[in-house]
Amino acid sequence: MTTLEIGPPAGVTSPRAAASPVRLVAARDLALRLLRSAVLVWVPVVLLATFITFALGALTDTNPAAQVLGETATPADITRMNHYFGLDRPFLVQYFSWLGHALTGDLGRSYYTTLPVTDSITRTLPVNISITVLTVLIAILLGGALGIGAALSGGGWFDRGVTLLCSAASTVPPFVIGIVLIVLFSVTLPILPSGGYVPIDQDFGQWLRFSILPAVALAVEAAVAIARQLRTSLVGEFRENYVVGADVRGLTRRRVVFGHALRNAAGPAVTVLAYYIPQVIGAMVVAEAVFNLPGLGKLSLDAASKGDIPVIQGVLVTMIGLVVLSNLVVNAALLRFTPHARSRQS
Amino acid sequence: MSEQTLTPTGANAPADPALAARTAPGGPTTSDPTMGRGGGPVRRALRLRSARISLGILAVVVFFGIAGGALAPHDPLAQDTTNILAGPSGAHWLGTDYLGRDVLSRLMDATGRSVVGALEAIAVAFVLGVPAGLASVFFGRFFDWVASRIVDAVMTLPYIVFAISVTGIIGNGMEQAMVAIGIILAPLLFRVTRAAALTLTRAQYVEVAELLGASRWWIVRRHIWSKVLPTVAVTTAHLAAAVLLSVSSLTFLGIGVKPPAPTWGGMLSSDLGFLSQQPWAPLIPALAIALCAGALNAIADAIRDTTGAAAVPTPGRRRFARRVTRVGSAEPAAAVGAGVGAAPAVTVPAQEEGSHA
Repeated sequence: MTTLEIGPPAGVTSPRAAASPVRLVAARDLALRLLRSAVLVWVPVVLLATFITFALGALTDTNPAAQVLGETATPADITRMNHYFGLDRPFLVQYFSWLGHALTGDLGRSYYTTLPVTDSITRTLPVNISITVLTVLIAILLGGALGIGAALSGGGWFDRGVTLLCSAASTVPPFVIGIVLIVLFSVTLPILPSGGYVPIDQDFGQWLRFSILPAVALAVEAAVAIARQLRTSLVGEFRENYVVGADVRGLTRRRVVFGHALRNAAGPAVTVLAYYIPQVIGAMVVAEAVFNLPGLGKLSLDAASKGDIPVIQGVLVTMIGLVVLSNLVVNAALLRFTPHARSRQS
Repeated sequence: MSEQTLTPTGANAPADPALAARTAPGGPTTSDPTMGRGGGPVRRALRLRSARISLGILAVVVFFGIAGGALAPHDPLAQDTTNILAGPSGAHWLGTDYLGRDVLSRLMDATGRSVVGALEAIAVAFVLGVPAGLASVFFGRFFDWVASRIVDAVMTLPYIVFAISVTGIIGNGMEQAMVAIGIILAPLLFRVTRAAALTLTRAQYVEVAELLGASRWWIVRRHIWSKVLPTVAVTTAHLAAAVLLSVSSLTFLGIGVKPPAPTWGGMLSSDLGFLSQQPWAPLIPALAIALCAGALNAIADAIRDTTGAAAVPTPGRRRFARRVTRVGSAEPAAAVGAGVGAAPAVTVPAQEEGSHA
């Protein structure tokens, strides 16, 4: 682990290494471990979370049918609608039937429009996924640059500035950063749109123009957390013998940092990132309202204001799915990139 | 203000020779002058200037929270259509909004609504998380296992979306939203409490107490709780700051409040439509939020720095309590009366307490 492999930087595997049998076994173990954790942790998570939301719906004494149909509805209309949506069945039967359908990708139909919930979600999901990915990229780049810079300046003005930025960022909600960005880049200096959206598959350049402000606003919190963590662990790595050894042998500072120290220091930072991705997915709801994006949050808010329970539940399940997926990806990345984590696990 | 107020008292000190024996030889070496002095975690933290300033800010916030609506110079809902989107002036110190309503009055009136919500959520999280965290350590493996699974589950829920869903299903109101957020945050307090308590289960004095026949409940109450308290206090303060931000996010979205009633988040939301006329307007409620959250964070940091309580176990950072904090020190009321002189109760407080008892 501390041998001097003057290979490619972290994350890039050469084809030679991938072919070795040891690596193959490791890859198989990794896949199995991820699968096991997925089943053990995430299946109960999804069951519990959906059950909670379902139980909440059952606990309320309001009758969705009466609410949807309005005051002019006859009792016969209400009974018919209850039957159509299966609301006349016992609670547990409703839950398991919904769960069974959800597993096949059918999240029911909206009470109001009777459109399939799955369709509305698949229409809006690309907005969330594309902006979340952009946010994560920005968080990694910004956090990495700030963290490495702070560690290298070790107590200098840059270091102190980053520390100050970190504590300031934790006192402001992300959407306020969004508003500040709008004021800076749309009002004072009108170079970017203050809101709206163009799908990524339609025009990438336009998509970037509309997405960059929300993504930066969402990324700041995660970026400063990553920077803080990366700085701490990099400073720790700089004291290790292998860094001193590399210095002594005359390796450039850049190679020591990017080839050796960063690889070992990245682990905790990736864990921090993993913690923040669900936060980003959640905070995106508010960013959508600020930047007027047609995403899952808007869908959820609209549905919540009307009491359209199937849509609300569908969005919640999709969000949980996104969180679970991002967690698996980060875990895989963590095990893949960091020698520490790999040796600890095996 | 250093020594005179904070002397330990025998009244609350437990009979705990084991602790004394453990801490006395050598004592915890404290190089930091703020550490190791007497007083409860809060009192010790108050020696820091940052904590005193923060507490001052919070006191102002509480004051406006209680009396803000009454003190406001104008009716926060009164519209003055001849005077919309005005800048600061003698009549309207912070200007007016898009309906001509006085921004300062709205800010003051919103304080209570914005803060009470956060308090509710924290209370729910505390009641659900902390006892369960203590219990998970001392009441058997099965309870521990079940609680940890539930915690894993709840922690994956994006809490703003969950709060929106809950209000969408059972009705839009601050209580519903805050209970939802409290439920989501409870796991964090559970984890912190559990981690802090776990490090104490193997302490010698706990084993001694067990051998002497103390009940689990008694041990938790007497030996564990006061040592877990600083850690829990740090986390609770940090969480309070986070919740305040969530409350403003939710009120920004219009969750939890009926429209005309002002909230900090709601003010930001209405400012958003008029950024080209009043680009500075969002700064006012944003500053209120940031000051409040910053004060809470600073207090949390002060308690952590002065008691050596473990920080919120953020992933990747493993810090354990650097020293065992003192027992029975959380009740300063008796301490003032007892006043064992100006004896600086440094470094070996536990022994002193032991002898009192």
